[in-house]
Amino acid sequence: MSLQAKLMISVLLLGNAILVVELLRRKRLAESYTLLWLFVTVLTLVATWSDRLLALLAAFFGAMAPVSALTLLSLAFILGMLIFFSMKVSRLDAQVKRLAQELALRSASSPGSLGTPPPR
Amino acid sequence: MNVGKVGQGRGIVVIPAYNEEETIAEVVRGLAAEGLGVDILVVNDGSSDGTGRILKGLPDAITVTHPINLGYGAAVQTGMLYAVREGYDVLALMDADGQHVPSQVRLLFDELGKGWDMVIGSRFAGDADVYRVPFFRRTGIRFFSFLAHLLGGIEVRDVTSGFQAMRRNVFEFLSMEYPTHSPDAEVIVMLGRKRFRVTEVPTSVRERQGGTSMYSNVGAAIYYPFKSILSSIIVLLRLLREK
Repeated sequence: MSLQAKLMISVLLLGNAILVVELLRRKRLAESYTLLWLFVTVLTLVATWSDRLLALLAAFFGAMAPVSALTLLSLAFILGMLIFFSMKVSRLDAQVKRLAQELALRSASSPGSLGTPPPR
Repeated sequence: MNVGKVGQGRGIVVIPAYNEEETIAEVVRGLAAEGLGVDILVVNDGSSDGTGRILKGLPDAITVTHPINLGYGAAVQTGMLYAVREGYDVLALMDADGQHVPSQVRLLFDELGKGWDMVIGSRFAGDADVYRVPFFRRTGIRFFSFLAHLLGGIEVRDVTSGFQAMRRNVFEFLSMEYPTHSPDAEVIVMLGRKRFRVTEVPTSVRERQGGTSMYSNVGAAIYYPFKSILSSIIVLLRLLREK
């Protein structure tokens, strides 16, 4: 991989790291996700600058060029994250449903009464 | 509180309602006028129209209101949870759009008394008096009935019917895990694999008296068949894995 490509990837990764830390500071991202992103950023940086590691990965995946191995790894990571977040959203969906049901059941009205309307 | 005129113990009719301001009052009054001796529970699924306001003026109904719209299946599940916690013995489900005839709830409870765990009011059984179901919907219902038979071993011709009665053992089981959207074929598959006894009786179904069908939404109409096929297969896989 050319030095220019390595520098470009590094700048992108550092930008990403700064972004996730800033999101954590603004309380828009949880610590656990920030750590995950930082961990992946460091791993990708190491792979980008270590020609030997990249060559090993390329050989392992049967990639023609080392940069293809890096792309493949990134794609696998993104797919993994998407599945993880789909699972997370599904669980949150089920939890929200259950909470709303419990809230509704607690404020059930008797026949003839007005009941307690749940908060909006 | 009403007690046991249906002959099966304490009974409750659950009516899930989402934006049914045009019909809900008539449905509740019609049901109350039948004198079945059962309680009526309307689950208002976060309606954004005047359904909630109308329900406050209906002394015959118990009301449970979801703070947000959760979907038909979730509303049914809330009704089942209520029935389980309040100790009811039998439960009937009925639509809020006026399609089902209140007097026929008695038919469902009577059939339940013959020893079935669940009775489905069917548009296609015997000489049911029904409005003309559109071709594509009729074909879809036939396909899902076939699928439920294939995977669950229960022969029911109208798996999408929302007019049902069931015993406590069934609604206790279903209240633990009930599909949020389009709970049709997969519910029958679940019940079949768990060896519940399910039958159907011919019931009349009128055209909806107000509101809009979920099938009028193109996205939902496309999503529904794929979701139902996948859900039915997953239910089967889960139950096979449990063994």
